[in-house]
Amino acid sequence: MATNNGKAIKKLAVPAGKWLAVLVILLWSLVPIAFMVMSSVKPGQDIFAVPPRLTFTPTLQHYVDLWTRWGSFFHGLLNSFIITAGATLLVVAASTMAGFAYSRIRGPWLERSAMFLIVVRLLPPIVITLPLFGVVNHIGLNDTHLVLILLYATFFVSLGTILMRTFIDQIPYELDEAAMVDGASRFTILWRIIRPLARQGMLAVSVFVIVYAWNEFLFAFIFTSTKAKTAPLVISEMMGSLDGVEWGVLFAASTVQLIPILLFVLLMQKHLVAGLTGGAVKG
Amino acid sequence: MTQHWTRRQALQSALGGAAALAAGPLWAANATLNILCHRVHQTSLTTGPAGDLTAPWRSASNAECAWTSFDTNPLQDRLFREASLEKTDFGVGFVVNSRATPAAAGLLAPLDAFQAKAPIEDFADIAPGLVSAMRFGGKLAAVPFRHATQALFYNEALLEERGIKAPPTSLEELVEQAKQLSFRSAAGTPVVGMVLASDLAVFPVTFARAFGGDFIGADLALLPDPAAMEKALTTLQDMFKAGALPRSYATTTNDDQVTWLQQGRAAFSVLPFARHTQLNRADQSKYPGRIKAMEFPMSQALKGKTAMASVTEFWAMGIPANAQDKELAWSFIRAMSSKANTVGAARNGNGPVRVSTYNDASFAKDQPFAAIEAKALANARVPLPAFPEAARAQTVFLEEVQLTVIGQKTPKAAVAAIAERVKPLLKA
Repeated sequence: MATNNGKAIKKLAVPAGKWLAVLVILLWSLVPIAFMVMSSVKPGQDIFAVPPRLTFTPTLQHYVDLWTRWGSFFHGLLNSFIITAGATLLVVAASTMAGFAYSRIRGPWLERSAMFLIVVRLLPPIVITLPLFGVVNHIGLNDTHLVLILLYATFFVSLGTILMRTFIDQIPYELDEAAMVDGASRFTILWRIIRPLARQGMLAVSVFVIVYAWNEFLFAFIFTSTKAKTAPLVISEMMGSLDGVEWGVLFAASTVQLIPILLFVLLMQKHLVAGLTGGAVKG
Repeated sequence: MTQHWTRRQALQSALGGAAALAAGPLWAANATLNILCHRVHQTSLTTGPAGDLTAPWRSASNAECAWTSFDTNPLQDRLFREASLEKTDFGVGFVVNSRATPAAAGLLAPLDAFQAKAPIEDFADIAPGLVSAMRFGGKLAAVPFRHATQALFYNEALLEERGIKAPPTSLEELVEQAKQLSFRSAAGTPVVGMVLASDLAVFPVTFARAFGGDFIGADLALLPDPAAMEKALTTLQDMFKAGALPRSYATTTNDDQVTWLQQGRAAFSVLPFARHTQLNRADQSKYPGRIKAMEFPMSQALKGKTAMASVTEFWAMGIPANAQDKELAWSFIRAMSSKANTVGAARNGNGPVRVSTYNDASFAKDQPFAAIEAKALANARVPLPAFPEAARAQTVFLEEVQLTVIGQKTPKAAVAAIAERVKPLLKA
């Protein structure tokens, strides 16, 4: 009897424990976001009230203030969009081509360069940032969209290539051989056969790059001033401590900054999972 | 009819948009002056009751201002990084006093020749102490623009709730009131007597000066009165023990000070006079109009004998030595430093560096504490003078102060450690 009870308790306790763990993780992840979104519509004097106020009259005033007084934020969003789009296109294109080469061509130099790709990923960005500042300034690329597109692409091409190689490895080589028999060049094979079949991998790579480029701060901080300044930089300006932080406006900006990327990740989560597990089991 | 947008069209639109952005407006003015500043400098020159003060200069110079703003430390890093290049696009950069070391000043263009050729109006009216702090080897490196002098802020409503009729007149009274004001208010809010950020030297230095001491004097004298510093640390430690400083003291920041005062979570704090408006804003504060400012009080023993040397920090406008158009930059500095623009910027929320501004009726009308601020400014000093290892010295000092306040070290031992650890940094 006691054994049966023990089994029943165990049967209930295990799923309950799992649900509890999921709940804790959800709370840990979602509470800061919920706090941010709620604070963006809370009257300023209630945001940090102690004890906290859970009932309040919502206001859009912080969003109005953001629009009227922080126009640079929306210019920053546009810059973020251009840079993110540019970096994503570049990374996906370069990674697909490189992944194709690594998947289909064998050779000692290629193996060594694959190792180099991993080493590049290990470098902390700050190591190259400061020496690069002078170079970028000298060639006149400071404060341009291009410099950030190139930098973001440089840091993500290695991961993108590794991911794309894994995806392309799963595409049977026989398809390439059949196309070669029909007279297709390497590029034709890549464009006509590999590209459509590796689309999921390309989407997975783009998700990684988009999330990174949209939120990146360090490079944008070092290499831009006015013309190419991105949204995260403007948000950091809002936190400037000399004239005091307007928390409501700051939370409104953070919410606006979060929405596009949140929607994108939710829409693309299927591909993101596919990207993470791609090549885990090879047939 | 359904209109399909092809990938090619999407790509072309994106590239077209990028090209349009990169090209910039075709109707731009002849010249652009790139200014590296904190946002507070930009807003005080462009936004507020006095309006956009740069407009007449822009019109007369046929130039546009391109503002790049960062928070204090990133701004200084960027300015000196730009100034160390072969050339920079920035014409004017704002320098904070604590970062204006001789080495840093060497990256800025000396301004004496510009001043001789096209002088700033009534230059002697700009606080001489601030100007002299920007002279290195006799050369003027930057022109003071903004000061932030520390005041003691108190929540009048909380004082009334505890039956305290008047704000403190001495440091000892302040400590007593702060202890009395550590309670749960009628609104259910837990109140601490005083909130201070633990990561800034301003506050322990203020307490030390109230006892007639200092951390590092203007002549680089380390701990000119060690006993005064010991008293200051003992006072802060006692306040923490009594719950008159927050339990979270070690992680409290400057922004917390503002929020806690606005929310009625603290009765006293030390912040620049210029924060008065923000602390009393109806859309942010639970006590609009009830948070008042006064000069930080001296210790009872020194009251009436020695004037309080309030802590002040200031910003100045400089021209990077590698700037492309120094004449344009100087004409901007000159215009923004005029008497009228100093008053205008003050009305927009700036701490005016001209003595005459405090006598201006329009400024006094907007700033109820103008007279108190002027009095505090008269004896104010920077928290520590600029020297090459100033940042490290401040870090060491703060480590010792924090350990003492939370009871991990005795004030005596902390003062001895400060003396021992900071001395080599002064020689470096």
